Amino acid sequence: MKKVSIIGAGNVGANAAFYIGEKNFADVMLIDVVEGRAKGKALDLMEAAPVRYYDAKIDGSDNIEDIAGSEVVVITAGHVRKPQMSRLDLLETNAKVIDTIIPQIKQYAPGAILINITEPVDALTCYIWKKGKFDPKKVIGMTGVLDTTRFREFISKELQVSTANTTAVVIGGHHDYMVIIPRYASVEGIPITQLLPQEKIDNLVKRTRAAGSEILSYLKTATAHYAPAAALAEIVEAIIKDSKRVLCVSACLQGEYDVKDLCLGVPAIIGAKGVEKVIELQLTIEERHQFEESVAVIKNAVDTLEI
Amino acid sequence: MKKVTIIGAGNVGSSVALYLAEHKIADVYLVDIVEGLPEGKALDAEEAAPIRRYDIELRGCTDFSCMVDSDIVVITAGIARRPGMSRDDLLNTNAKIIKSVSEKAAQYAPNSIIIMVTNPLDVMAYLTLKTTGFALKRIVGMAGILDSIRFRYFVSNKLGISVIDTTAMVLGGHGDSMVPLPRYSTVAGIPITELMSKDDIDKIIERTRKGGAEIVGYLKTGSAYYAPAAAVAKMVECIVRDKRRILPCSAYLRGEYGIEGLFVGVPVMLGKNGVEKIIELELIPEEREALHTSASAVKTVIEKLENLGII
Repeated sequence: MKKVSIIGAGNVGANAAFYIGEKNFADVMLIDVVEGRAKGKALDLMEAAPVRYYDAKIDGSDNIEDIAGSEVVVITAGHVRKPQMSRLDLLETNAKVIDTIIPQIKQYAPGAILINITEPVDALTCYIWKKGKFDPKKVIGMTGVLDTTRFREFISKELQVSTANTTAVVIGGHHDYMVIIPRYASVEGIPITQLLPQEKIDNLVKRTRAAGSEILSYLKTATAHYAPAAALAEIVEAIIKDSKRVLCVSACLQGEYDVKDLCLGVPAIIGAKGVEKVIELQLTIEERHQFEESVAVIKNAVDTLEI
Repeated sequence: MKKVTIIGAGNVGSSVALYLAEHKIADVYLVDIVEGLPEGKALDAEEAAPIRRYDIELRGCTDFSCMVDSDIVVITAGIARRPGMSRDDLLNTNAKIIKSVSEKAAQYAPNSIIIMVTNPLDVMAYLTLKTTGFALKRIVGMAGILDSIRFRYFVSNKLGISVIDTTAMVLGGHGDSMVPLPRYSTVAGIPITELMSKDDIDKIIERTRKGGAEIVGYLKTGSAYYAPAAAVAKMVECIVRDKRRILPCSAYLRGEYGIEGLFVGVPVMLGKNGVEKIIELELIPEEREALHTSASAVKTVIEKLENLGII
């Protein structure tokens, strides 16, 4: 069984371990600096295994050395938003957390593929890549899989159709400037632009943009963690199984979409080597414009960090 | 648990039973007129249950009465063409079988939804409709899903990507009368027309059109059954679990796409009532024409059966 380490045993990290366990495709090492937290959650998950029929090993540790031998390392460390906060407000605080993790990853799991979900995801994914001088193919930010799964759920609710084989493409940054492309959103291949009036689509797009805040406004003291963890598990599975999934992720671009040295959301083929290929879409002028706005926001954020 | 009866315990029928069991979708009754065949296959599959962890009921019987009160009846009955047999002889024989099976379905499972698999399925679905007098939405044929999943597999193969992210839309009947719609076929929502050359798409269409024959070419004495059974199982799942998935199936049209009073493969929403809705796509003239050609082929065969007095 291949090994996946998850740094950060909060709600997102623990739920990602849960989803990976349920699908039984990798052993999981949960890591957290808070003593006992990772171990306790891992033990709880293993005690559910006999009834849930998984035999993947889920273990916990407060020693980051235990990431050794991982094929994939998920970084879900740092702070999460509180109501009224923007994701970018977390930039400086969480960059400091990342600073402590990067050298450890370089030492103990130098060849692993890294998936970052620490907010703000695009900027910090870029920070990890640059600061750690990692191979850009091996650094991935979890953004679009979450945005698309939310959009797909809203589409299926609106049309009262199954979520299976709804598709969606969301590119750009994982924030208010995300670029949702309705003509690529489909039900069994039929574009939603043929199935819904523009006004309805606009509402779904708006809801998707604010979907993280919608959950936060309900939970108040916690952010969404089921859908984000499910999105993480989806990317991890594609890497572990080398399944060449086409997923929207924050990829470190080196000229694709005319963007250089920045990580942001694009559709990409995900397999054992990480981001195996960035798919370049033919964007309309309006979409291109939105995309460039997104690029500017992320670039500004990254520029404030010392790399 | 819902009850699904599968008429015909051949390779397709028994593979449908296996897929349904694996996903614990419903209790399954396999019915066949060949003594021992359905009982043997059902028992064999039951004996795998402890390892495969399904606890649905799987029964085999040769008496049609065991289909009583089924929620869904899948019809895969019929004989294969034998040497020296003309296509018309085959049609004639199988139409008689379908007619008699349909009468049994109406008798024992009057509230069921019928999924027609026996070819020519658009015609056989019509024959069942006439025989049972069931509501239109309760009879549906397995058509485009099979072609769509073959198409999707070929696309994923060509592009080197996971099949999970592909979609495809194939209307009309199987084979020559198939109407593929590449612009509604996508990878994660991106139309394949943006990802592949026209030449590659044409090759995939051609291979899909001959998808059944390709498998026969390998097997020689039999035809494909895993992919056809998987397609049927997907339809059953959508109905039993009220999935409301949009899938290309053969449904009775009353003016949709300009076609009246025939079963033709079109996108439908499948849910607990059967055909919940027929989706009318925007077609370009060539696509529309191809769909109408497919419909007239169905009409010709129906007329043949009417002349023989079977319908």
